[in-house]
Amino acid sequence: MITSKSVPWYFTPMIVLLAGCAVAIVNYGVRASFGLFTLPISEAHQWPREIYSFGIAVQNLMWGIATPIAGMLADRHGAARVLMTGAVLYCLGIISMALTTSPLMFHLGGGVLVGTGIALSSFSIVMAALGRIVPPEKRSWAFGLATASGSLGQFIFAPLAGALLAAYDWQFTLYVLAALSLLIIIFATPLLVQNTASSLASADETKLSMSAAIAKAFQHKSFWLLTLGFFVCGFQLMFITVHLPPYLAEFGISKEFAAIAIGLIGLFNVAGSYLSGVIGGRGEKRIPLSLIYLLRSLAIAAFILLPITPVTTLIFTATMGALWLSTVPLTMGLITVMFGTRYMATLYGFVFLSHQIGSFFGIWLGGRLFDQLGSYELVWWVCIGLGLFAALIHLPIRESRAASFAVA
Amino acid sequence: MIHWPGHRFALAAFFGVIAVWLVAMFGIMRDAALPADAAGIMLVVFEPGIADDIAFAAIARANAKPIRKTAFGFIWVVDGNAGKLKAEGALGSYRNLPISPEIAGCVAVADAKVAQAFGL
Repeated sequence: MITSKSVPWYFTPMIVLLAGCAVAIVNYGVRASFGLFTLPISEAHQWPREIYSFGIAVQNLMWGIATPIAGMLADRHGAARVLMTGAVLYCLGIISMALTTSPLMFHLGGGVLVGTGIALSSFSIVMAALGRIVPPEKRSWAFGLATASGSLGQFIFAPLAGALLAAYDWQFTLYVLAALSLLIIIFATPLLVQNTASSLASADETKLSMSAAIAKAFQHKSFWLLTLGFFVCGFQLMFITVHLPPYLAEFGISKEFAAIAIGLIGLFNVAGSYLSGVIGGRGEKRIPLSLIYLLRSLAIAAFILLPITPVTTLIFTATMGALWLSTVPLTMGLITVMFGTRYMATLYGFVFLSHQIGSFFGIWLGGRLFDQLGSYELVWWVCIGLGLFAALIHLPIRESRAASFAVA
Repeated sequence: MIHWPGHRFALAAFFGVIAVWLVAMFGIMRDAALPADAAGIMLVVFEPGIADDIAFAAIARANAKPIRKTAFGFIWVVDGNAGKLKAEGALGSYRNLPISPEIAGCVAVADAKVAQAFGL
């Protein structure tokens, strides 16, 4: 925590928080605009869509795999250094997307490099830094703020990149995004406060080694419940992201309207993420987390059982938006309650990996079952069932410091 | 005791980011504005509040082909000539966008008004 007033201006609480928000905005925002390059890059190289899609799939896989590693590095060397390294990889990956001449180069650059860069400069690393810097009573709020910033980045960067593509060409747009990703280095500088003497480690942090902490966490029932819950989160969100537009098309809702409805998710996501951080700071976190999953199930059930119209679509996407990333501050909060802040980035990394596996199944199973059954009906019900399951499994989570992480 | 900011800080940060974003969008849309002799598929903006049929008629008079109307009746994607559209009452024409024509269109209206006011 920042404990002394004699810190330089760039290590003051307001600057540190602003810096964390800026990193989250750029990291999530740049990533959110990659979908816009499917056509220009595929057309420029005369590639089938599969090559670009595979590169982005590799990117998401790398993001999931590299997140626990990024967390370990952040817990060992400080979040700011990891964020800065991530920014360099992110930038190099985007530049290689612009300069690519072969599918292999694209998959290595846009897939492996960008995916690793995203993981190393992601808002989970920002939250790990803020978790240690801000006092415990402000921690959940700070997590909410960082998550809301990431959501805001998603919301504002897509139109920005779209306008850049219209005004210039796709390669120039990628160079701009690469330059913006480098800004993370500047934005992460105030987070170096975590590595200074003025930021004192809390006395009640575990003395376990990292490997022992990981092993002990995986022996803790509540950690498994949290990890399983986050799998459901990934499943629901990515199924809706990818399959909602074609589902709406079945009911005669236009692509343009679907795009607006999905935009609404982004807008309400900002408010929902922030609010969940505020709520998480006021009391128990497992109950609101359980409620979020329950409300998601109810919203999905109401959406598919009622006639699908533009109005019900907007109500559904606004509701889901408010519940979208609102699981993140509460999940991160529970990790810090159970295991402390010393290894929070590492442990969140493993929970997030489960989220990404859920995302994979949400996307894949949605397409697979649609192909087999000619309808999304079953997958919607799977989403509802999983949501109810997640709502239930969060209730027995023990919201207290795990015995093996307690300090006498 | 160090004072940590709260909700006001979050709100100010939100509006600060939106302000920076609007400035960036405005600058980019200025660069996306088409000259009078430009032809092809473009985003065309009319005065906000214009009735759909009046906008459609103006597009038809300019010998342009409507590709699609956006969620806002004053922003259309058309295949036509920027100069002719302007002569028929359009505020401005811009290169077509792959996403969010509504958001870009609203920024474009502001840009077109500024361009009109300063003869850009």
